[in-house]
Formats: sequence, C-alpha cells, structure tokens
Amino acid sequence: MELYELNLWMLIEGLKAGKFTPSEIFTSCKKRIDQCEENIHAFITRTDDNPQPGSNPDGIFSGIPTVLKDNLCTTGIRTTAASKILGNWKPPYDATAWKYLKDAGAVLMGKVNMDEFAMGNTCGNSAFGPTHNPNDISRVPGGSSGGSAAAVSAGYVPFSLGSDTGGSIRQPASFCGVYGLKPTYGMVSRYGLISYGSSLDQIGPFARTIRDLQLVMSVIARHDPMDSSCFREKNPDFTHHEDVSLKGKRVALVKEFQDFTLDAPISKAMNRTCSVLEAEGAVLTEVSLPVVARYAVACYYALAMSEAHTNLERYDGVRLGYTVKDAAGVKEMFEAVRSYGFGSEVKSRIIAGTCLTEPSRCDEYYVAATKVRTLIAQEFARAFGEADFILQPVTPSLPGKIGEVDEDEMKGYETDLYTLPVNLAGLPGLSFFTGYSGELPVGLQLIGPRWSDPALLDAGTVLERQLGSPRIANGGVK
Amino acid sequence: MKLNSEEVNEIALESRLVLTEQELAGAVRYINNFLNMLDRFKELDLKDVEPFSFAEALECPLRDDEVIPFTNTQAILDESEHVDGSYFKVPRIMEE
Repeated sequence: MELYELNLWMLIEGLKAGKFTPSEIFTSCKKRIDQCEENIHAFITRTDDNPQPGSNPDGIFSGIPTVLKDNLCTTGIRTTAASKILGNWKPPYDATAWKYLKDAGAVLMGKVNMDEFAMGNTCGNSAFGPTHNPNDISRVPGGSSGGSAAAVSAGYVPFSLGSDTGGSIRQPASFCGVYGLKPTYGMVSRYGLISYGSSLDQIGPFARTIRDLQLVMSVIARHDPMDSSCFREKNPDFTHHEDVSLKGKRVALVKEFQDFTLDAPISKAMNRTCSVLEAEGAVLTEVSLPVVARYAVACYYALAMSEAHTNLERYDGVRLGYTVKDAAGVKEMFEAVRSYGFGSEVKSRIIAGTCLTEPSRCDEYYVAATKVRTLIAQEFARAFGEADFILQPVTPSLPGKIGEVDEDEMKGYETDLYTLPVNLAGLPGLSFFTGYSGELPVGLQLIGPRWSDPALLDAGTVLERQLGSPRIANGGVK
Repeated sequence: MKLNSEEVNEIALESRLVLTEQELAGAVRYINNFLNMLDRFKELDLKDVEPFSFAEALECPLRDDEVIPFTNTQAILDESEHVDGSYFKVPRIMEE
C-alpha cells in the first residue's frame, strides 16, 4: 500500500510509531498528484514544489499534507476565488482556519479549484477551467468546493478544507465519494474566507473517514476574536469513539420531500440507510417542513445574491487584483475592471442582488426573504423537537457530464433544495458515503440541530461502520 | 416581463458593470425568471414575521477593544498598482 492511500488518522498514528517520515508522506502524495492532475485539474496553484512547512513540528498534523479551497487566504500565496478579478493577489494574512491547521503542523500542497466566488455547483464556473470527477473524469466533481473534494477523493491529500454557502461542501463530497461536513454557522471562524453570502458561508472539512473529519474539527472549531459570529462559550468535543450507538435516536424523513423524484441509486441509498438505521436501533420518524419545501430555494437565492452584491462591491481594481491604468475617471476604471474581471454567473448574481435591494423593491424581495428565513428556522426548530437528526438526499441526481448546461438556471437552482435550507437555518449537515452505483459514489445527508456537530459525526461513525468507507478514486489513471 | 432591457442595463450600470448586447439579453432573461420565482413569497402572510437573525447574536459581542498593530502594511501596498507613497491613488473622481 502506498502512503497516499492512508487516511489521516492512520498517517498520524504511523508517524507517531515511527513507521514512516513526513518526507515519505510528502513524496507519496506529490507522486500521486503528478500521476492524476492532468486528468483531474484540481489545482489552481500548486505549492508542492516549494512546500510550506507547518509551523509546529510537534503539532497533531505535523507533516500531514493538505489543500485549501482557493477562497481561503494564505499569506504570500496567490488566492483567486477562481476569478480573473483577483488576478495574482497574494493576501497579507492567513485565514484563521488555515492558521490553526498550520499551527498544528499541516503542510500546504496548494490551492484548489472552485466555482468563481463559490457561485455554482459544478466546479466548471472557474476562470481556470473545470475540475473533473476522479471517479469518472467525464463528469463534474460538484461544486463549488469541487477541487477540495476531488483532491481527497483521488488521494492527493488525506483531508482538505472547503466552504459551504448553500451546499458547496456537501454536494461535491457526495459526488466525489468522500465525507464532508458543513459545520453549524459560527462553529468555524470565517476570518480570511473570501465572502460570498456572509450570513450563510461556513468553512468545513473533507476527508475519507468520519474519524478524520473529527480530527480536523478538533483543530479548526475554536473561537476567533476576528469573527464576531464565531462561538465563544461552547466547547465542542470531537473525540472519536468507536463504540457510539444510535439506539433510541429519532431520525426523521421530511414528509414533503417524499413526492420529489430521485435518481434510482439515490432512492435505493435512502432505503438502505433507513434499514441500517433501524437495525442500529434508531427510531425512524417523519417531520413536516412545508415552508422549506416550497420557499427555501427562492429565499436562499434572494438572500445570497443580495449579500453577494454587497460583498463584491469591494472589487474595483484599486487595492488588489486585476486593474486598468490610465482610465479617464474612477467610474470608468471600476466599470472596466469589473466588466472584464467577473464571469457571467457572478455578473448575473450581482445584478440580481442590486435589483432586490434597491429601495423600490427591497421590501417586496429582500425583506420578505429575511422573514421567510425566520419561518424556515422556526420550522427546523420545531422539527428538532420531534427528531434528533433528519436524513435526506444531498442532490436528486448523480453527477452530470462536464459541459452539460441547463438553459434554465432556475431549474438548476431547484436541485439545491436539499442543501440550501441547512445554511438558511445555520445548521450542521454531514454528507456521508453510502456505496457505489457503478463507478459513481452515492452520498446522503444527515442534518442536526445547531451545535450538534459532534453528535452528528458520532452518528456518521455508526453509518460508516455499517455502510463502509469509500475507496480512493482511480483519478483517470488507465 | 417585470423588467425590460433598459431597466436591467441601468441596474447593471449601478453595479459598475457594462454588459455586451449578448450579456444584457441573458441578464434580462435571468432576472425576470428569478423575480418570477420570488413571486412565491406573495403566497405567505409575512406581516407579523420578524426578519431573521441568529439568536446567538446576543451571545456574540464585539471583540475586546484592544489595539493590535498590523505590521505588514507594505504587503498590502505591494498588491496595488495605484500607490503613491503610503496612499492609494485613484483616477479623477469629479465628473466634468
């Protein structure tokens, strides 16, 4: 077995026992990247020719390679958010989540691909071209954190970080066959994450086992004074326990989702997972989320676009990124920079956000959406009075082919119904592996109440024990 | 159609975006489809509903008011092509 095939916890234990060295791990991962990258195109910027050693040789992740979604700031290393507008920007500071990993000794292999400013669900909406799914390189890896999921799936690194505004960790984790956690809003500092929708964005990990997710969370889920939305008093314990049980836990299905169409492999996975849960002693139940089912998609996009339009106002070519010289005036400069620098999906969302927040339309659309969000959060709060977890799909279908375009964007947005509501209510969501349909992995999602992240991962441990762990994808290697 | 191409173009210009003809046609279709989707809100009685906020916001005060010097200002200036000394310099702002 090659070292790149080992999971994070195995690497940590092997290093401790002196079975291999950090340098051997690095060499093995680098070799794997060299072998597959031409097929997968996960990287925007590779740093493995000039590795950035972690700052703590005694840290828990000392000598462990990782990659970061390219919307996480890294001191002195190009950070693009997959957009032309950021050009070759090198941030003067680290995102806190990366700082915590670096302090724990992690080694950065590079910055990976995403949909521009995290707007998209294919990882094809990038100024650097599409990333390919390591399980079938003709298919999309999902998005927006497609590079982070693909890198873990293909064995480049044992874990990575991404961000999730409306499903951008859970959907690519499901498409690539890895585990992905969207933590409770406020569980992980957002400082140094390039903003998309600030009330929805959350950083989280990808890995090939639940135990590995727990290890990463134990490092990054800490208060940060630089993010006032980051929890202060809570003290989450992400210790891994093999002997956890779901006995007596109430796991709910959503009544209103039962009528929606799912691809056969996904509905089979739902049935199989329900059987596993019952065999493990969980009590299957049902909750009703009518507002979520009918209004969550519209509510989410109204808020995400409104916040995006505000967040993206800062890109004007003055302080960083792509710029023009000798513009006639400042207005002409802003127009030239933004019209060239943003891709078409981003432009559409900026225009929509500007439209919804104009004084004449604000009450009708933006304010209404913030009220619908209240109803959605209340609905989830009621549901979690009746259930400990909610089980549902991540997406209604398996990953599509690269280049397939849905002419009706709104239809594409509707496919995000299973992931977006979690961000609206600030809940944690775990995308977990259930098995394969042919070459393609099939993932599902378990959701818990706010701050239940450790319990959610414990439930994930039980599911992994029964459903099995994913294999490393072949990465298009013949 | 809720917004015509002239109105969408005006909104784009407010956002400092100059669209090509093709982009504008796409934006008009997109924004009208999107606004149609948002019409669903009208089915709900939202009169007495408060806008959303995270309840924990009450537990998240501003950080302690301590001065923490940021020493890497040169790195910030190095990223801009519009620097004059320790200032950013922008083109003319006043219109003629």
